[in-house]
Amino acid sequence: MTALLPLDDYTLRVVVLGAATLGVVAGALGTFAVLRRQALVGDAISHAALPGVALAYLLTGSKSSLLLMIGAALTGFAAVLLVTAVVRTTRVKQDAALGIWLSVFFGVGLVLLTWLQRRPDASQAGLDRFLFGQAATLLREDVVTMAAAGALALLVLLALWKELKVLAFDHEFGATLGLRMRLVDVVLVGLLVVAIVIGLQTVGAVLMASMIVAPAAAARQWTDRLGAMTVLAAAFGALAGALGAVASAEVSRLPTGPTIVVVATALVAVSLLAAPRRGLVARAVRSRRARERLGLAQVLADLAQLEQVHEGPARGHHAATVGAMEQADVLPALVELERRGLVERTPDDRWLLTDRGRSEVSRA
Amino acid sequence: MTTAALEVTDLTVAYGDKPVLWDVDVEVPVGTLTAIVGPNGAGKTTLLRSILGLVKPAAGQALVLGRPYREQRRLVAYVPQRGSVDWDFPTDVRDVVLMGRYGRIGWVRRPGRRDREAADEALRQLGIEHLASRQISQLSGGQQQRVFLARALVQEAELYLMDEPFQGVDATTELAIVELLRALREHGKTIVCVHHDLQTVAEYFDRVVLLNVRTVAAGTVEEVFTEENLRLAYGGRSAAFGRRNGP
Repeated sequence: MTALLPLDDYTLRVVVLGAATLGVVAGALGTFAVLRRQALVGDAISHAALPGVALAYLLTGSKSSLLLMIGAALTGFAAVLLVTAVVRTTRVKQDAALGIWLSVFFGVGLVLLTWLQRRPDASQAGLDRFLFGQAATLLREDVVTMAAAGALALLVLLALWKELKVLAFDHEFGATLGLRMRLVDVVLVGLLVVAIVIGLQTVGAVLMASMIVAPAAAARQWTDRLGAMTVLAAAFGALAGALGAVASAEVSRLPTGPTIVVVATALVAVSLLAAPRRGLVARAVRSRRARERLGLAQVLADLAQLEQVHEGPARGHHAATVGAMEQADVLPALVELERRGLVERTPDDRWLLTDRGRSEVSRA
Repeated sequence: MTTAALEVTDLTVAYGDKPVLWDVDVEVPVGTLTAIVGPNGAGKTTLLRSILGLVKPAAGQALVLGRPYREQRRLVAYVPQRGSVDWDFPTDVRDVVLMGRYGRIGWVRRPGRRDREAADEALRQLGIEHLASRQISQLSGGQQQRVFLARALVQEAELYLMDEPFQGVDATTELAIVELLRALREHGKTIVCVHHDLQTVAEYFDRVVLLNVRTVAAGTVEEVFTEENLRLAYGGRSAAFGRRNGP
C-alpha cells in the first residue's frame, strides 16, 4: 500500500538538503577510494558502522545523531584497522580480510539491533532505520551535523589534494619522495569513514558503500581530469541523494537507501552507455566508423588492382567482381565512394576509378 | 678513497622463508652507469625496492653518498617499471611529471612557478613537451617511459634508480634514454638500472652487477661481463651468447 505522506515544504527541504549533502561528500571522497582501488573498504566501513550505532545508543541511552555517528565512526574505523592488521600479520589477502571483518561487525550489529528492538522500553524505536535508511526521519539538527562533518572532510581533501593524488596514482613513488603515504592512507580511510557515517541514517549501512562507488564510477566516464571528476562525482552524488530522498519521502514505506542507490545506479548506467569518448555507444560508433573507413579504402584499392590486372585503357568493373574479392556486398561502399567523387558509375553499370580516386589510392 | 654513490652491505631480503636476496653487497662509484643484470627471480627489482625502503630487508643496509638512505631521500630518484601504475588514471602528462616535485614542495602547499618550470624543462629534455597536456591513457609505451623519466628528472637527484627503463620501448625512445643517461653521467650523476637485454650491456653501461639472489660478480663491464660469470649467474643459460647449455 502506498500513500502520499503529508510532508510539508519545510520537512522536504530538510530531507533533500541532507540527502544532497551526503551525496556531495560521498561522491567527492569516493573518487579517491575508487581511484585507489579501495572501493571495498567503503563496504567494510559502512557494514561495520552498524554495531557502533547500537553500542552508542546502548552506552549513552541517547539518540542524538552526533553521538550515534561517533559510535558508527569508531567501529567503522576499527574494522579497517583490523583488516590492515590481518593483512600485515598473516598471509590472508585484503579482499578476504575485508570480507571477514565486514561480516563479523555487521553480524554483531544485527544481533545488538535485534536485541534492542525486543527490549520493553520503546525509546530505541527507529534505530532500524540505520539498516536501510529513512530520510524522512532527518531533522534540521541532523543535517547541520552532517553538513559540518562533511565540510570538514572536504576541507581536508582540498588541503591534502596532491598527497591523496600521489597515493591513488603511485603510492610507492610517493613514499620514495619522503611523503608519508601510510599516514595519508589512514587519513583517506578517516575521510571515507566520515563520508559514510553522515549518510548512514539516510541510506543505511547495507547500501551506503554504493554511494562511495557509484557517483565516482559515473563521473569517471565523462572526464579525464581528477578535479573535474571529483566535482562531477559530488554533483552526481547530490543528484542521486536528492531525487532518491524526494521519492522515498513522498511514497510511504519506500525505504530511502535503496531508492537513492537505484538513482545512483541509473546514473552509472547512463554514463557507461552515453558518455562521450568512454561510453559504450561512442566507442561502438568509433569502431564502426573505423571499420567503414577501412572498407572504403579497401574497395578503392580493389578497383585499382583490377585496373592494373587488365591492360589497355582503364575500364570499369561490375560491383559483383569487386564483391567477390571482398566476399561481401560492396555496393553501399561504391555508392559512398561515388558520393565522394572517387569512383564513377559507367552507363553499362560498371564502376570506374576517377582521377581523384587513383591519386587517393597511390597516396595510401 | 671517495664515498660511493651507493653502498649496499650484507643485504638480505626474504618473502616468508624464501630468501630473495642473500647477503648482497653492491658498491656504485659516483658518476657511473651501472646495470643490474640477472635471470628472472634473481631479486633485481627487490634490490632496488629494498634500497628505497619499499621492502623491509631482514638484514643489511644501504648507504647513499655515505649516509643511510632515510637521511638522503632527497638525493635519490626512482623510476619504477611502467606497468606498476594504472595509466588510465585521470590526469595529464605535466601533472604526472610535477609529482616528482611533491617531496620538496611539502605538505598542503601547491606546486609553484619554479616547479612548473622544472617540469617544462624536463619535458623538453625528453622531447615530449608537445605531450604536456595529453591524457596519460593516450601515451605509447615509449612515451610513458619518457614521462616517468621526466618525473625523476625534476627531483634533481644525485642517484637515479631505474627499474627496466628500456622495457618495451621503441628504438627511438631507447636511443633518447641512453643519451639522457649519458648526459646525466656527464653532470656527475649516478645511474643504476635493472636491465634485461644482455646484448646492450656493454654498449650502454660502465659497470655491471651480476645478481642471482647473491652477488655473482660486480665491477666494470670489462672485468665482470664475461661468459664465465654470465654462466654462473644464469646457471648455464646465457642469452647473450645465444647458447643454451641447460639440461
